[in-house]
Amino acid sequence: MRLSLGAKFTITVTIILVATIAANTFYFLGTSARFHEQQLLERGRALGRLISLVSPDAILGFDFLLLNRYTREVSAVPDVVYGVIVDAKGEPISTYIDDKDPLIKKQIDAAGSKDLSPLLQKLDGQSGLVRLQFPITSNNVVLGRFLVGISRQSLENEFRRQLIVQSMVLAAIVLFLSVAIHVVFRANVLKPINKLIAASEDVSRGQFTLVETKARDELGVLARAFNVMTEAVKREQAKLHRQANFDGLTGLPNRMMAFDRIKQEISRAKRSAQRFAVFFIDLDNFKNVNDSMGHAVGDELLIAIGARVQACIRDSDIVARLGGDEFVVLAPDIASDAKAEELAERLIKAVSEPQLLAGRKVVAHCSIGIAIYPDNGESMEELMANADNAMYQAKSTRDGSAIFFTAEMNIRLRERMQMEQDLNLAVELGQLSLNFQPLFETDGQRHCGAEVLLRWHHPERGAISPASFIPLAEATGQIVSIGDWVLEQACRNWAKWHNAGIDPGFLAINVSRVQFRRRLSVRLTELMANFRIPSHALELEITESVLLDDHSQVAEELRNLRAAGLTLSLDDFGTGYSSLSYLKRFHFDVLKIDRSFVSGLPDDLDDVLLVKAILAMAKGFDLKVVAEGVENHDQLRFLASQGCDVVQGFLLAKPMNEAAYSNFLRSRKVEVNASQTGAAQHGYATGRST
Amino acid sequence: MTILACSHRRHEWRPIIVLLLLAATTLWPTNVTAADEPLIMGVFPRRSIAETSKLFTPMSDYLGEKLGRTVKLVPSKNFQTFWKDVTEQRYDIVHYNQYQYIRSATHYKVIAHTQEFGRDSVAGILFVRKDSGITEISQLRGRTIIFGGGKDAMLSYIAPRYLLMKAGLKENDFKTVFAVNPQNALVALHYRKADAAGGGEVVLNQPVVKDAIATQDIRVLASTEPLLFLPWAVKRSMPAALTQSIQSLLLDMKNSDAGKQVLKSAIMTGLGSAEDKDYDPHRQMTIAVLGPDGIAK
Repeated sequence: MRLSLGAKFTITVTIILVATIAANTFYFLGTSARFHEQQLLERGRALGRLISLVSPDAILGFDFLLLNRYTREVSAVPDVVYGVIVDAKGEPISTYIDDKDPLIKKQIDAAGSKDLSPLLQKLDGQSGLVRLQFPITSNNVVLGRFLVGISRQSLENEFRRQLIVQSMVLAAIVLFLSVAIHVVFRANVLKPINKLIAASEDVSRGQFTLVETKARDELGVLARAFNVMTEAVKREQAKLHRQANFDGLTGLPNRMMAFDRIKQEISRAKRSAQRFAVFFIDLDNFKNVNDSMGHAVGDELLIAIGARVQACIRDSDIVARLGGDEFVVLAPDIASDAKAEELAERLIKAVSEPQLLAGRKVVAHCSIGIAIYPDNGESMEELMANADNAMYQAKSTRDGSAIFFTAEMNIRLRERMQMEQDLNLAVELGQLSLNFQPLFETDGQRHCGAEVLLRWHHPERGAISPASFIPLAEATGQIVSIGDWVLEQACRNWAKWHNAGIDPGFLAINVSRVQFRRRLSVRLTELMANFRIPSHALELEITESVLLDDHSQVAEELRNLRAAGLTLSLDDFGTGYSSLSYLKRFHFDVLKIDRSFVSGLPDDLDDVLLVKAILAMAKGFDLKVVAEGVENHDQLRFLASQGCDVVQGFLLAKPMNEAAYSNFLRSRKVEVNASQTGAAQHGYATGRST
Repeated sequence: MTILACSHRRHEWRPIIVLLLLAATTLWPTNVTAADEPLIMGVFPRRSIAETSKLFTPMSDYLGEKLGRTVKLVPSKNFQTFWKDVTEQRYDIVHYNQYQYIRSATHYKVIAHTQEFGRDSVAGILFVRKDSGITEISQLRGRTIIFGGGKDAMLSYIAPRYLLMKAGLKENDFKTVFAVNPQNALVALHYRKADAAGGGEVVLNQPVVKDAIATQDIRVLASTEPLLFLPWAVKRSMPAALTQSIQSLLLDMKNSDAGKQVLKSAIMTGLGSAEDKDYDPHRQMTIAVLGPDGIAK
């Protein structure tokens, strides 16, 4: 049974009161009973002594009537149930017996006669009777005895009566005190506590009610503490609410509130049969800002863009930051796609306004995906996914564009997802393979190694271009396992060729920035040890995007790779940011000129100037230069004339599978052996062959 | 002139007034003295002074009221004092037992006797316990016999002794013990303090005895002829008219409510007429038991 605090307190107090008063009452009654019994005995003794004193003359004078008067007088004494004077032989000579006394009556009824001797014998053992006897003497001669029996009945009755009275008084006192204590307790304790409970329940419901704090006692202190706590909870609640619903950086509503508002807007639009638009905004290349100018500047840019977006939308529109560089704008009551386009243009314009950050003018661009309710989805999840998909499509077209979601996007998305699933199985099912495109020294066109190229032969779709699945693998993280497989297969092949007595030259392997983050140096050291491959047999091609990541981590990993003896090549040089500071900060061995610069050689002046500049710079940094995409002799001659070290392209050799490359190597081995003398004369030695 | 005449007539009454005053002062003290001389009433002390006073004060008050003069009850603390007052004739009216009367008959004249339980006379009895096995007086030889009061108790001693004597048992043939009164003698018999008890036949029926013992355990062994109850006597020197008045008042008491109340108070049912010869049987028994000296003054 669940008892309230008041009930528990009252019961406890009542028990204490009952115990205390009852103990006191029983002590009092006990003392009183002993006192009364003592009085009873004293009365009996006084009576007995008196009768003993006055009886001798009457006995000697055979004045039995006088003795009877004495015993009759004895009978008048309260509680005396019998008084008997017996002679020296014990024969009764004067008797008074109160045969109405319950105890006497009971014995008489039991015995069936009033015979004195057996009656006295039976009474002798009765606890309810005090039996006294006093000798009656004259001149030291015993004339008889006076026997007196005093009943404890009235004493017990009085005790019972007192007990009842005291119990009633006790009950009345306990009742009164309990009620009084309960009333006082309820007024002074329970009431404030109940107020505190009510206030606590209010707080739990989000209503921050304060309680009275007039009392100066502990409850008053508790109430004040409760109020302080309530205020703190209120502040924390507001803080939590803000943290839960607003973005800490920009102050805009966050993802949670955005989703909630979209859901509300869906309900509202459904009722009013209206359309609304969701704009999924993602900043283009925002990471570059963070990486190049620092996160603080990036945050500053996000704040500025958030404010500008906020400023360009209607009051009824809502802008929220979903996280990172993603924003969403909810625009209710969009009557037409044209209105949505107008808003998208305003958003693009607002985002692309130049912003002065850290003393530099920064222009940001964004890609916007637009989803319209109910055309592009009737649920929040659907609308967001479709807007995201549209944004993804926008991002893949050009910077600073906005695209409406179309059903085809979903088809592409499904294809992408299917490809992602297929790619998961590609390694296990042996659908991936390596191709090798030979690399040649420019001056003597001597084979010096090969670039390892990944190929995926889909059983249904046939050969899938790396340009299609590598970005997907990088985006999904599958590139880690795939890249590891590539490294292992490359090492295995190199070891196989080497063990077969064929010089494979070096193998240039492309590594992804994702791999680079996963302790690539450790894995490569492990593979080289397993396959007994010398470090110079491998060259790692790293794109500039790797260098955009955390500089310290990149620098450390590059140091580890260099320490392991690996050759580092900066791939696709010139297509990206191509900061010269990279070359200074990170110690690369090779620069690889992108095929887009080679294709215009030697007629395109820009390409000529650019390639010349790259080659001159590489010489300055003592870097070897590899030019890829060499497809004709003019390009080859130009590169040779400009001092390019190594060339790669269809002109010299197409990419080939393992078997073909093995044959290529074997044929090259014969060729080398045959022209070993000539080669030595032309100075083609790369120093890489083992 | 007129004034002088009136003054003269007033002076004519003076000798008459003086004579009337003289007559009054001469006669008045004489009448008062006669009325204030109280009659002294004595009652033999078989009970305590207080009890005696309680029982017989209504009687003295009654007589005083009726006689028009004070009747003063003078209770005695014991028999010696009482008997001394009897012999010195201090009592004008006296109530005592039959033996005491016959001893004082030369100075006192019996005028009435008490009636108890509606009876004028009572026999002297020898009582025994029913379970004693005693059926003949002769069986009391060598036994203990208890008597109430003392040797001057008419019904409790003299009469039972007379029965014993007639049965041939002299004083030394049994052991004599005395209880303070006849009732106690009977109680003592009940408690087996004696083998027989002497007493008047009314004793057994007295409430005080019935309350004290189971009287059905007692039976009568022998009884005398009925003897007239206790006498009321006046001094022989009392004027005959006063004696007659007192006797009339006593005998007439049972005929009035006030008188009945007085009798009830004195534990009597009435008073009957008596004269000296009515106590001759008592005299004969006393002389037989105590000898001629027994009735000497």
